[in-house]
Amino acid sequence: MKNTIIAFFLGLLLLSFGACKKDVAQDQYEVNPVKLYPSIGAKNKNKTQEQYVSILYTNLFQRALSGNQLVEIIDCLESIGDKELGREVLISNFMNDPQVVLPSDSVMRANPDVFTEQTYERFFVRKPSEAEKTWFRNFIEANPQLSAEMIYFAFALSNEYLYY
Amino acid sequence: MNRRKFIRNAGIAGAGAFAVPYILPSGRLFAATGRQIAGHVVYVLFAGGVRQQESILQRYLDDSQGFPWAGNIMYNMFNGPSPENKIVYGTNQGNGVEGGTPIPQILSQTLETLGTVFREVQAQSAGHFGGLNNLLQGSQVTTQGLKQKPINPTIFEYLRRHGGFPASKVWFVGNGIGNGLPLLNYSNHPNYGSQYGANFFAPSITFGNLGFEHLSNAKVYHPENELDPMYQMKYFLDQSFANVGKGGDSLGNTEDEKQDIKSFMRSTYDRVTQNAIPFPTITENNDALNIGFACEIMRWFKPAITVVNLSSVDGCHADFTGYLRALHRADHAVGHLWNYIQTQVPEMAGDTVLIASPECGRNLNHNPIKDVNDWYAYDHSDNNASRVFTVMAGPGVPQNLSVGSETNPVGFTSDNVPTIGEILGVKDEIMGAGFLQPESVSLFDRI
Repeated sequence: MKNTIIAFFLGLLLLSFGACKKDVAQDQYEVNPVKLYPSIGAKNKNKTQEQYVSILYTNLFQRALSGNQLVEIIDCLESIGDKELGREVLISNFMNDPQVVLPSDSVMRANPDVFTEQTYERFFVRKPSEAEKTWFRNFIEANPQLSAEMIYFAFALSNEYLYY
Repeated sequence: MNRRKFIRNAGIAGAGAFAVPYILPSGRLFAATGRQIAGHVVYVLFAGGVRQQESILQRYLDDSQGFPWAGNIMYNMFNGPSPENKIVYGTNQGNGVEGGTPIPQILSQTLETLGTVFREVQAQSAGHFGGLNNLLQGSQVTTQGLKQKPINPTIFEYLRRHGGFPASKVWFVGNGIGNGLPLLNYSNHPNYGSQYGANFFAPSITFGNLGFEHLSNAKVYHPENELDPMYQMKYFLDQSFANVGKGGDSLGNTEDEKQDIKSFMRSTYDRVTQNAIPFPTITENNDALNIGFACEIMRWFKPAITVVNLSSVDGCHADFTGYLRALHRADHAVGHLWNYIQTQVPEMAGDTVLIASPECGRNLNHNPIKDVNDWYAYDHSDNNASRVFTVMAGPGVPQNLSVGSETNPVGFTSDNVPTIGEILGVKDEIMGAGFLQPESVSLFDRI
């Protein structure tokens, strides 16, 4: 009888372990790997204003923009006729936000080629050509006052950034 | 810019001025040769749907609610005595009656006295977007869809392409971003388009709460040490991408013009905070706010053309009393606009022609909706909705002249485009482009 009672409680204990088992796989989310464009010519679609703003925000702040803020910013851009000017004002506002995430200038100057490559990948989702890398290396070296922020600004305002 | 660089640039520019005639964005060597009547046009899209009966015909409640009380509630624009009874269109200040205190007249002489009124003009659309398109394109394109950019060139594009006006001298001030309004600053026409478009602000957004939250904190970059290299990098990147795609929606503001517009934005945020925007005395609706910001734009840019739209009267779909109030305030706002130009913008005073037209009228018969005063509301869809007026005043415009009558319509809303063309010296180019409504001519040719 005693053995039966012990066996019963042991069984109950085993069952309870089973009930506590966490289904880890169900709650896991992952980011799909993004393939780089093989060349500049592979981009043939215009981003919508919504896509432009959310991607820009993510690139500059390393986090997603809330839906409400996205709608508000789109309204602001709609209210300005010169869209390029509107984007410029928006980027300038983002750059003035203390939470913007930018690489330091010393990192940029330590290895301009790596910085250029990373910036092209971040903004254009492609690798720079050798000519592009050389141009930026020369430009960075020739302009001591140039900052990473200024380079990010130029990429964010470029025409290629309007496409995917 | 250091002295040596300045002298070098000035020398190059001076030599260029001798060697190369002024090249317009159109590729033409010289600006249009048409004689300008005035240096500036302010074009008020007196929109939202305005019934002739309560506006120029001055019948107040007599031709809408069955009460025998007529009178003029737009006494900055038109001559005529005000209503004597049932005053509801004013403010609540003074006598304690809701709307019982009319807004004091601003202008000592009405626009009717100062200029010419076309009393019965045919609008070519009974809808808002179609009507606004008509006022800006001078044509009524049957394939023009809603939420679609104008199919034919707008007055902005005519002026910039044929008159050589820079982008910062061509402005459209919208009273919001709804109803496709931001689409109207340029057309999709392949020979015209964005590079000839107007600068546009919807100030209630740009300089309202949303603008303050998302646009007002722009970092100010040094024009030479920071902006120059930033633009150089952008141009390099754009050059690499030029064979694949382009920006496409640039209005062709030069870098200097962009800087100027950004400076204007900064100044306006400051002036909003300081309560220094020149709003009309009574600023109870979006129309009045919009006129205030239009004044601010004129103060800063002295545009060749400023188009400003109103639309608060459209509340008439459900609130006739509110419509009367909005009409009265729209007149007040236009009076303020004219007064501001003449007294506060010396570069434009005496050299500006103001033109105002509704984009459409409203129905002859009411709908079943009653407002707080038990007065019926009016939509816009019948023949009466194609009846509007046009008033214009300024240099070169005959004074105290009335053209047409209720039984003798003269002119179309599409006439405004060649009229503005004539004032600013590009009428022949507009007429020759071939996109106007066939019957359209300059209003000066109808006098």
